[in-house]
Amino acid sequence: MKVSDSIRMATRFLTGHRLRSALTIAGIVIGIATVIVFASFGISVQTDVVSEFEDTSASEIFVVTGEVGIGGENDGFFGGAVENFALPALTTYDVQQLGEIEGVVSVIPRGSVDVTSMSDGNQTVVLDSLTATTPAAFSGDNIVAGRAFEVGVRGEVVLSESAVERFEQNVTVGQNLTVDYGDRTETVTVVGIASQARGGFGSFGDFAPTVYVPTDPYYQEAGPTAASANQGVEQTAYRQVTLVARPNQVSDTQERVERYLNESSDATQVLGDVGITVQSTADLVDGIESVLTDIVRLVTGIGVLALLVGAFGIANIMLVSVTERTKEIGIMKANGARNREIMGLFLTESVLLGMAGAVVGIPLGLGVGFVASTYAEVGFTIPYDWILIASAMGIVTGIVSGLYPAWRAARVDPIDALRYE
Amino acid sequence: MDESTDEEPVVQVADVHKEYELGGTVTALDGVSLELPAGSYTAVMGPSGSGKSTLLNLVGALDTPTAGDVTVDGRAIADLSETERARLRGTQVGFIFQTFNLMTRLRAVENVTLPLVFAEHGCESRRERARDLLTEVGLGDRLDHLPRELSGGQRQRVAIARALATDPRLILADEPTGNVDTETGDEIMSLLRETNERGNTILLVTHERHIATRADRIVHMTDGTIERVEEA
Ligand SMILES: Nc1ncnc2c1ncn2[C@@H]1O[C@H](COP(=O)(O)OP(=O)(O)OP(=O)(O)O)[C@@H](O)[C@H]1O
Ligand SMILES: [Mg+2]
Repeated sequence: MKVSDSIRMATRFLTGHRLRSALTIAGIVIGIATVIVFASFGISVQTDVVSEFEDTSASEIFVVTGEVGIGGENDGFFGGAVENFALPALTTYDVQQLGEIEGVVSVIPRGSVDVTSMSDGNQTVVLDSLTATTPAAFSGDNIVAGRAFEVGVRGEVVLSESAVERFEQNVTVGQNLTVDYGDRTETVTVVGIASQARGGFGSFGDFAPTVYVPTDPYYQEAGPTAASANQGVEQTAYRQVTLVARPNQVSDTQERVERYLNESSDATQVLGDVGITVQSTADLVDGIESVLTDIVRLVTGIGVLALLVGAFGIANIMLVSVTERTKEIGIMKANGARNREIMGLFLTESVLLGMAGAVVGIPLGLGVGFVASTYAEVGFTIPYDWILIASAMGIVTGIVSGLYPAWRAARVDPIDALRYE
Repeated sequence: MDESTDEEPVVQVADVHKEYELGGTVTALDGVSLELPAGSYTAVMGPSGSGKSTLLNLVGALDTPTAGDVTVDGRAIADLSETERARLRGTQVGFIFQTFNLMTRLRAVENVTLPLVFAEHGCESRRERARDLLTEVGLGDRLDHLPRELSGGQRQRVAIARALATDPRLILADEPTGNVDTETGDEIMSLLRETNERGNTILLVTHERHIATRADRIVHMTDGTIERVEEA
């Protein structure tokens, strides 16, 4: 019997029992769709997140006081307020020392100065704080208009694009704004507009509306202080400092930074057990990847379970089918069908069922994965590997679940079968 | 030596016993010997349970004897592998059953091509052959009907066409007229007679004397043995 004939006969039977065939493959469809949904969604998120990191901050090392884990419940992760971090303990001395560590290109401290609102004369916008940082935060293509502020100059601010959008009337470079500190006001000039700034923890860009001012003088006047054990005086202290490392020396530099911070920094003496978190972009990417990988694994497990259920479904229906078609098996044997041809015929049926499960399940999974990615606002990436894996799973499920029923069919005694009513 | 004994018989049954184990032992055939010369037409008669179908199934290589030899086309079927017996059934034997035994989901023409599918004939040639055979048995206008869309007599004619598909040397018919009316039975017997005249060897099982007399010779069976052979 030729393969084409087996397929034709198997198809004839399956399409003769449409509802039964459809119900039989439901389990396979669900299993395969589940795997594809989570594979495509997981890979889309991964690709999106990783490319974001790689674009912006491949060589940054983040230093934060306190223990901060990936996905921790702190706003600071996205570069906004940093309320949840531990005490500001990185002193001006620490910042200087960090800058001198081999491999560190620049040091970008970041702090916040409390304010209540900001006004362009027509409209007052609520604002918690000004973000104090250094011009190095705007290196690269981050300034979209104007320039960075100058160190030591009062009255110059850089606005994030999202801060600009807060005002109904266009805010432009050179415009004056009034900052309200609660007890006093100050008139400042917008010198630049930035798409994002380095030094936000994780550097996802500053999604929250942010107003940047130079640490000198703003933070040095208003910011918190900590005791510098090394210098024996109180100094301005930061919660958060970002180091830009030489691109190919990130991990070595990170080690040296950690050694300094843990052994001889002012911060470690202030914080004691609280500790300091040092993370590089690579750590973050690894962390996110491993979380996503775990999720994909877990769900793949669920998908495989669904496939297993589906396999039992196919096996069950195929066994029923063997019994129902005992007479047909007898007829085919009387007409010259060999045992392995009977076996092949039934295997073809179960493989077709498994393949049909993949053919329906894969687009279904891709569709749901696409919707989920769109909803989560990440670019959709087609998981080609998983499409191949899922197709293979459908076929393998068909083979595995069909083997025993097919073997039973092949062993049917033609005489008994022909007597069978 | 004359012509007819010169050619080896298509089937030789030599002292064949067939027993079934069903709690006790049921003896279906108890020492049967029979030869079917090439081109012969033999009917088997006997009461129900006398072993007629059992004999036919052995000759058709659907089963193997408990003792004795069944030789088809010079080959002892007990020595053949499962696969070789399937091949023998597919190419050397054509079965016709009382209950037609057509594949319910296949059209008339597809039922006729069934043995050709297993014999791996090309798609076009086997369709053509099936069309010719169905036309010969008077069903040229029913090619694409399903068995349930055909009358009993028409179904049996499809079965005959199928039995002839590979042009087997041997046609085995187990009560082919058992499920059709007398008139249709006559038509079927005429088809078998034509087939025999074209050279096919026929072994026919029947209850009815008037059917049996259409053969060249009648073998009478009782209790698993051949009682006597009646030459026409
Ligand atoms: N598969 C089987 N298992 C057990 N006993 C069997 C089997 N096949 C046949 N027999 C027994 O063998 C004997 C002969 O049966 P067989 O079918 O050959 O009779 P038959 O002459 O064809 O009868 P009928 O005219 O009713 O068809 C019977 O007693 C039957 O019960
Ligand atoms: Mg019988």
